[in-house]
Amino acid sequence: MTTSTLSTTDRIEKQPPAWTKMLDLSDRALAVLLLAPAALLLSLIIVYPVLRLGYTSFFSLSLTSGLPAEFVGLDNYRLMIDDPVFWETTWNTVLITLITVPGALVVGMALALLANLPFRVQWPVRLSLLIPWALPLSFAGLIFAWFFHSEYGVVNDVLMRLGLPGVIWFNSPNWAMAAICLTIIWKTSSFMALIILAGLQTIPRSLYEAADVDGAGRVRQFVEITLPLLKPSIVVALIFRTITALQTFDIPYMMTGGGPGTSTSTLAMYIHQNTISFLDLGYGSALAVVMFLLSMCVTVVYLRIIRTKG
Amino acid sequence: MKFRALTGAFLSAASLGAAVPAFADTELKVYISSQHQPQVWRKMLDQYEAKNPGIKVTIETGGNTSEAQAQYLNTVMSAKDTSLDVLILDVIRPAQFAAAGWTSPFTGKDMSGYLPAYAEANTVDGKIVALPAFADSMFLYYRKDLLEKYGIQPPKTWDELKAAVKKINGGENNPDLQGLSFQGKAIEGAVCTFLLPYWSQGKTLVQNGKLTFDRAAAAKSLALWKSFVDEGVSKKNISEVATDDTRKEFQAGNVVFAVNWSYAWAQAQGKDSAVAGKVGVARLPALTGGDASTCLGGWEWGVSAYSKHQDDAKKLVEFLSSKDVSKFVAINGSLMPTYADLYKDEDVLKSAPWFADALQVVQTAKPRPVTPRYNEVSEIVRTTVNAVLAGVMTPDDGAAQIESRLRRILR
Repeated sequence: MTTSTLSTTDRIEKQPPAWTKMLDLSDRALAVLLLAPAALLLSLIIVYPVLRLGYTSFFSLSLTSGLPAEFVGLDNYRLMIDDPVFWETTWNTVLITLITVPGALVVGMALALLANLPFRVQWPVRLSLLIPWALPLSFAGLIFAWFFHSEYGVVNDVLMRLGLPGVIWFNSPNWAMAAICLTIIWKTSSFMALIILAGLQTIPRSLYEAADVDGAGRVRQFVEITLPLLKPSIVVALIFRTITALQTFDIPYMMTGGGPGTSTSTLAMYIHQNTISFLDLGYGSALAVVMFLLSMCVTVVYLRIIRTKG
Repeated sequence: MKFRALTGAFLSAASLGAAVPAFADTELKVYISSQHQPQVWRKMLDQYEAKNPGIKVTIETGGNTSEAQAQYLNTVMSAKDTSLDVLILDVIRPAQFAAAGWTSPFTGKDMSGYLPAYAEANTVDGKIVALPAFADSMFLYYRKDLLEKYGIQPPKTWDELKAAVKKINGGENNPDLQGLSFQGKAIEGAVCTFLLPYWSQGKTLVQNGKLTFDRAAAAKSLALWKSFVDEGVSKKNISEVATDDTRKEFQAGNVVFAVNWSYAWAQAQGKDSAVAGKVGVARLPALTGGDASTCLGGWEWGVSAYSKHQDDAKKLVEFLSSKDVSKFVAINGSLMPTYADLYKDEDVLKSAPWFADALQVVQTAKPRPVTPRYNEVSEIVRTTVNAVLAGVMTPDDGAAQIESRLRRILR
């Protein structure tokens, strides 16, 4: 870009505008100057809140106590270690991530391959792919809460028509977790599918034609051509999906409210509960710091994977 | 010159005159929950507007459960939002609102006209945090027709209730007829579910801010509710049932006994009810050998500390908690009066005859623990009740969990 504009305007290159001379900027300084607005904005809306969160996590700050904030060092973190609900919600979050991320990847991949078939009319397929993605999370949660309702739900209706016993889904931790994971997979696999579909369309058809000539079967073509060329798209989709999975809130919140007991509550729900319901901003911040670190770890791992592949 | 001065004065007077009505229109926003029949309150607000020209009152509804409401108000109030002037508060909230400084106190207000329980509930550290909107407590609703058919008296103990259900179920042979509906979902109502048999054993949960937990009594309470599920008196998915589900099930004629607040009466006797005319209301049963006990409910009107119309908002709250309004909402919404003599009022008794016996119940109803950290206490109790009813943990483990988690916040 730069070189092309310069080559067409040679005269300017010889005589830069007076003001640049006045500032006498090196390339490095210019880069800093140009990046500054974006950096400032980012630090205002990301870096400052994160630092502030870490700062608050060292204070006892509860709006219901009527007391001013007091520095307590690592007390909030110590409290967390003895807090069984913290461990339970963290485990639930990890479990949801471990189930729904691969689940959404498999389903999303299948959907993408399906949508990539040469349909005569493509828009109904693409549209039906988009709908679950476009639906707000809490809507999806509410809709599926009714699907899985033990008395009025369509899922039990279908089960009973098939001669199977109905299940009181939200009465048992395992069934409730299963219902939540199914809903999350339904909701998120279309996002996976969209990214993978975009990746699929960049693979040249000629590769498959060549493989056909060489006598490679469909499965072989998928393993040898499709998968390797899709890897970058898959990794990107996985990063986004894993991070949102670690932040799972809306769907369990609407479907079970964390129940029965606290057996399907997630870390994000526990943070929300401590800050919004209990107004315990100190402890809530400490919990949020843990979630932030968890997300960072995952991101670092994925970035490593990309870098080694790249 | 003179002429000019005069016209000038005239013109400015005219323009001022035109501006005055626009200036004086004070708009007050009242936050009310959708579960508290805003349409009934609206009629009273219309009356208030008619009597007080220049005041306009709008209603903002939100949150159909006490927790949803608390979450909303927590967000609005911690942001020091000025948009709400008057707030309806659950009887369990004044301590928290006082600690956070979110309502303006009613200094010098004489509370002696109200039922003592509400004068007390609204006074925190000598300050009057809010004024009573309506009273409430939990009752046992029952199917008068079915009890008469089988010659059963309203049960005095939970064991009698079980026996009554078994007798009726044996005779009716209707698989859709549930014996007892109560609140097993992890909502505020489940805190009362836990406390009813706990209190019945003469135990308290919190006294003077100190935890006075009795693990054996708690285990017994949880075991009682679980036994209703295990013995088929209540349905298996009782852990999904919230307060209004109980109301709907009873109203549809699918329940013999139901634990609910006073509001269910108006709808159970309403046009859409399958059980209109067949409803009885009694005091809640006791544990065998224990005392009958019930949970004190009710809601209060507070003035937001961030309201820009403090005086107008306070005047409105004085009106909303007056005897006339209390009588109107008692007749039209079966919301229990906060004044003792209204329980003998002819007009009130005509629309809800059982209010005649209800005064005694409200007067002996117990308040839930009074602490600024009530939201946490509530969450611990209600999720444990829910887990026990779903069979995730045993009543003994549940009692142990409540104790250990409560110890973390109330030492």
